[in-house]
Amino acid sequence: MTATTHSEGKHLGPVHYVLVWAALMVLTGVTLAVWKTDLSHSGRVVAALAIATVKAALVAVVFMHLWEEQGIARLVLLVSALFVALLIGLVMADNATRFPYANPPYSESWKDDPWRNEAPPMQADPGPVRVSPKTATEHPASHKP
Amino acid sequence: MHTDAAAAPSRLAHHFPDMKTQEHAARMGMWLFLSTEILLFAVLFTAYAVYRFLFPQGFDEASKLAHVAMGATNTVVLITSSLTVALAIHYARLGENRKVVGLLGVTILFGLTFMVLKGFEYHHHWVDGQLPGRLYHYAGLQGPGVSMYFTIYFLMTGLHGLHVLIGMSVLGWVAWRAGRGEFGPGYSTPVELSGLYWHLVDLIWIFLFPLLYLM
Repeated sequence: MTATTHSEGKHLGPVHYVLVWAALMVLTGVTLAVWKTDLSHSGRVVAALAIATVKAALVAVVFMHLWEEQGIARLVLLVSALFVALLIGLVMADNATRFPYANPPYSESWKDDPWRNEAPPMQADPGPVRVSPKTATEHPASHKP
Repeated sequence: MHTDAAAAPSRLAHHFPDMKTQEHAARMGMWLFLSTEILLFAVLFTAYAVYRFLFPQGFDEASKLAHVAMGATNTVVLITSSLTVALAIHYARLGENRKVVGLLGVTILFGLTFMVLKGFEYHHHWVDGQLPGRLYHYAGLQGPGVSMYFTIYFLMTGLHGLHVLIGMSVLGWVAWRAGRGEFGPGYSTPVELSGLYWHLVDLIWIFLFPLLYLM
């Protein structure tokens, strides 16, 4: 049965696949459990990304047979992961260090600026009216002398 | 079961010395293609990261409108479909083509389940007016960044759903070939490569689910 295409002694079988599937199910449960806790916002992001990375590694190494793969094919995924990290990291660094007005109106960068316009507050349930009559009459175009 | 001697010579392209080299090149090519797919999605993940950074409150509130139960069910469905594909590859290498057909059929059904649940989610968002950009008109939540969440939600899940549909079609074609008994110890490349594609679709969803539904 040992196919001619893979190195000897590294073959994965159904038992491995079922075990990895079980591990992925457990980790999905952990992701949901973390979501239910009242962890801080950054804590949630870090936990969710860490668990997702472990799950992705399991899928890549076992289901996608990187374990059996030989030579440079094993490197391709790592290199693309590196470039994903570079792309996201550098773009985030750009946005985080900008002059505030170079970011969109009402975004986080405007928060500490004394001259900023107040962002319209988050509304949980403003009711059926979306444009308040007060704002409409105060608009310069409809202002009476 | 096919014998190597019968299957191998007709499958071997003249520029490869043997089947082993040929299959290694095929897998290498597939990994290079998958890396371009990863970078395609990486651009959207970058957009997500930037707008989440710029509008943390808007994204927090908007992601509470995602349908977590359906998203979690879809996660379980896709991970299980990855298992059935991995098993299909295993049996293709053994030349047990009937099992390959069965397992790929189950995988396609899982894919269909995923798309139907996704359709229900889209329908709910559509009815509630939780749509991308200026089409967003949900009265229950208004504020900066909220409509941007839905722009990115529909872009990412839409592109991912398109990949699920393509994966289902490719697996259907491979299952049809397995039905003709084409695969065995000497030749299982189409099952392996389409399987790699399906696993990548699963892999992307593994990141999409917590980022879009659980933040």
